[in-house]
Amino acid sequence: MKIIIAGAGEVGTYLAKMLSNEEQDIILIDDKQERLDIIDSNYNLMTLNAPTSSIQALRDSGVENADLYIAVTPYESKNIMACGIAKRLGAGKTVARIDNYEFMENDNRPLLSDLGVDRLIYPEYLAADEICTALEHNWARHWSELHYGHLLLIGVKIHSEKCPLLGRQIREIPASEHYFHIAAIRRNHETIIPNGSDRIYRDDIVYFITAEENADRVREICGKTSHYIKRVIIMGGNRIAVRFALQSGKRFEIKIIEPDRQRAEYLAQRLPDCDIELGDARDVDTLRDNNIEQYDAFLAFSESSETNVLACLTAKEFGIKKTVCEVENLQFLSLAESLNIGTVINKKIIASSRIFKLLLDADETSSKTFALNDAEVAELKVKEGARITRKPVRDLRLPYGMTLAAVVKGNSADLVSGNTRIDPGDMVVVFCLTGTIHQVEKWFT
Amino acid sequence: MRLTRYTKPYINVMMIIRVLGWLLFIESFFMLIPLVTAFIYGEEEYSSFLWGIGISVAAGLTMTLLRPRSRDMGKRDAILLTSSVWVVFSLFGTIPFIFSGVHSSFTNAFFESMSGFTTTGLSIFPSLDGIPHSILIWRCVMQWIGGLGIILFTLAVLPTLNSQGGIQLFNAEVTGITHDKLRPRVSSTAKGLWMVYIVLTIALIGFLLPSEMDIFDAVCYGLSTMSTGGFAINDAGIGQWDSVYIKIVFTVFMFMGGVNFGLLFQAAHGHMKPLRLNDALKWYFRMLVTAAAVLAACIIYTGNAQSLADVTVTPLFQAVSLSSSTGLTEPGFNLWGPLAQFVFLCLIFIGACAGSTSGGAKVDRLIVVLRNMRNEFFRIMHPNAVVTVRVNGKGTSSGLVQKAVNFFLLYIFVIIISGLLLVCMGLPLADSFFSVLEAISNAGLGVNIEGVPTDYNAYPEAGKYLLTLVMLAGRLELYTVLLLFTSVYWKK
Repeated sequence: MKIIIAGAGEVGTYLAKMLSNEEQDIILIDDKQERLDIIDSNYNLMTLNAPTSSIQALRDSGVENADLYIAVTPYESKNIMACGIAKRLGAGKTVARIDNYEFMENDNRPLLSDLGVDRLIYPEYLAADEICTALEHNWARHWSELHYGHLLLIGVKIHSEKCPLLGRQIREIPASEHYFHIAAIRRNHETIIPNGSDRIYRDDIVYFITAEENADRVREICGKTSHYIKRVIIMGGNRIAVRFALQSGKRFEIKIIEPDRQRAEYLAQRLPDCDIELGDARDVDTLRDNNIEQYDAFLAFSESSETNVLACLTAKEFGIKKTVCEVENLQFLSLAESLNIGTVINKKIIASSRIFKLLLDADETSSKTFALNDAEVAELKVKEGARITRKPVRDLRLPYGMTLAAVVKGNSADLVSGNTRIDPGDMVVVFCLTGTIHQVEKWFT
Repeated sequence: MRLTRYTKPYINVMMIIRVLGWLLFIESFFMLIPLVTAFIYGEEEYSSFLWGIGISVAAGLTMTLLRPRSRDMGKRDAILLTSSVWVVFSLFGTIPFIFSGVHSSFTNAFFESMSGFTTTGLSIFPSLDGIPHSILIWRCVMQWIGGLGIILFTLAVLPTLNSQGGIQLFNAEVTGITHDKLRPRVSSTAKGLWMVYIVLTIALIGFLLPSEMDIFDAVCYGLSTMSTGGFAINDAGIGQWDSVYIKIVFTVFMFMGGVNFGLLFQAAHGHMKPLRLNDALKWYFRMLVTAAAVLAACIIYTGNAQSLADVTVTPLFQAVSLSSSTGLTEPGFNLWGPLAQFVFLCLIFIGACAGSTSGGAKVDRLIVVLRNMRNEFFRIMHPNAVVTVRVNGKGTSSGLVQKAVNFFLLYIFVIIISGLLLVCMGLPLADSFFSVLEAISNAGLGVNIEGVPTDYNAYPEAGKYLLTLVMLAGRLELYTVLLLFTSVYWKK
């Protein structure tokens, strides 16, 4: 698939790298040569140094044969215009990054599609959405919905000594009925796709696939308690913080601690329902002055990933039940996940995985989400005569690094057990390590 | 994501060896050409090539059996792999020379082999008459593989390298200040370039067939000329035919061998605009015409002009041959006087366009350096003026200018140091520096500037190895090879 990405910012660069590793033809356009240099000499893709909305640049990049045009510069109007031009020049599908909630509203969508923008991507909105989910299901590290919400993917860090899963092989786990499937285990910066003989240890993050109604039973077996979260304190009033405050409405009582006076005044105007405090939340005294121990959740959104991680650790010391930490530094991500700081948010990964999903919607047989940075969840459609339909799952001898989590037959979603037989036309939720998706796809076609 | 806790940089040696193993299969595949030739001519050297293929395949198999822990290749791995590929290819390329006994020592065979792969074209054979056909064609095949690049060929055929590691390899081997890609995927870029190369080679052989050459000569010269390597297959060289037609064909194809293959690829796809806008091509052309005019004047002045062709085709042929680093010489070119010799030196030093099969410091860099120099004068007069170096109608960054200037300096520095080392080994001053210049620009003439054939056999062993190193460094544009000798590479 030929994909043109305009804007080599954080999202654009991450997306380009990821898609290039997925063996797509990528052309990355940006007007700053410095940004392109490194990625050009290190990744298997082509770069073009030109203004992103330049018509000549679009022609040079061969937009007429492009399947997808993604505009992810920080400037909304540029993105929309570039998408419009690309569409007129013959691009298959266009995606624009936006910065304004109005565009997301259903009534306004036809306006944008008339302009030639097929899909929208609003990273701050997506991040805010994810934070809301994280606070809602605060006992889990990760929570995402698969197959229109019938299935849940829940990542839980196992702390409690009482947890009955600890130290056991997965096949020995006592269960009167099969209500969850362990799809992946994250341990020491490494993701394991387990089989029956793998064990669960303390401080592992275990990813369960389960049906919606069984989520509470998964929580119980992990020895977690759910807290009711009402009062939220935010460090750093960035765009995610604003979006989160607007999106969650009156659901939470929010206090934002912002070090910059101008920004704080802007926040006060923009978010009249929130308490805005001028100060540096890195300072323990500031936290104490703001009665941090009375809050239920602490969200760290400062510019520096390191500061966020440390602030979250400090907040945990004060007995805060849930912390959410923005880590934009990809090198830090696995380290941050292994610390005891609750949910880790990365705008780039959230935005890119959404774009990735849009991209794969194009062929409709599969869709993927990025739950972790080195494993993937894919929903794959089983074709007629596929290898996977020949035997029940236990006799299939599936390769290492993949596990079948659930199967959707018609409208009902079921977990996969050894006796499950997969039929053509089913939709299967597969967990696999990054890079092995091509091997996995062979089983389905 | 690798956590960096090592004090020494991590080099994925296992993976490098494994890739080298795959590459040896490719080399043994190319050895089939001389093997078939040996059978056609009924030469007993077929056994040397069977040995060559056997040993390469066996070594390749052993090396590919390794199972590296990780398949990732970073910049360090790519640089080491690219440099070692050329050395390993040359090493295994010596097997037929050694088994057939055409070379008296391993050093000689290695020198010949490296000179072949780097398309230098310096030969250690005192005389080519009586050398078997299969050995002759093997030398030309070596040049043909090395012409566009071993790695580039591998990128086109090995799907495993169509990844992040592949792009690093591409950057380490392809010549030029910047490395322009033709297509988003590196393997499609490599395939495109190789298609251009193969089509040109076939066309050249096609044009040579109707001439006085027989099929064997046409194929050998086709391979060694398109790669701008210039291995001759007889003692008289091109002078054996004394045909104006052959010279014209050679001139045209050597010229194309000196043009950026990316431009040729785009031209073949109907995009003529980049071809017109390209400064390097314009300057390359102007430089050749000027050089040919000066040479023609020299020929007339020294009284060597006997026919019209002697002042038109001959000087142009000679200029293109040296600039494109082919190194074919016109008989009696040494009689054209000292000014002509100076022009030769300049042409060898500058070379042709980047991204081609030619050697030298490259016209592209010369343009940047000269324009920067002009800007410097301008800046002294107008201290507040902000001026950039324009290349192909676009302003460039100061980083690019710096790279070009540094490369020029390093190029000269390497020539001086290597020349000095040869002088210390007891070789005559002029010969030492000329040999180094030939080696670094990959333009082996086989004769010194006075026209006397150089007897490389008489060079000391250390001198031979030094020259092979200089050839390799010149072919990979210095940094890829020289980095391996710096602490920057080996330390964190």
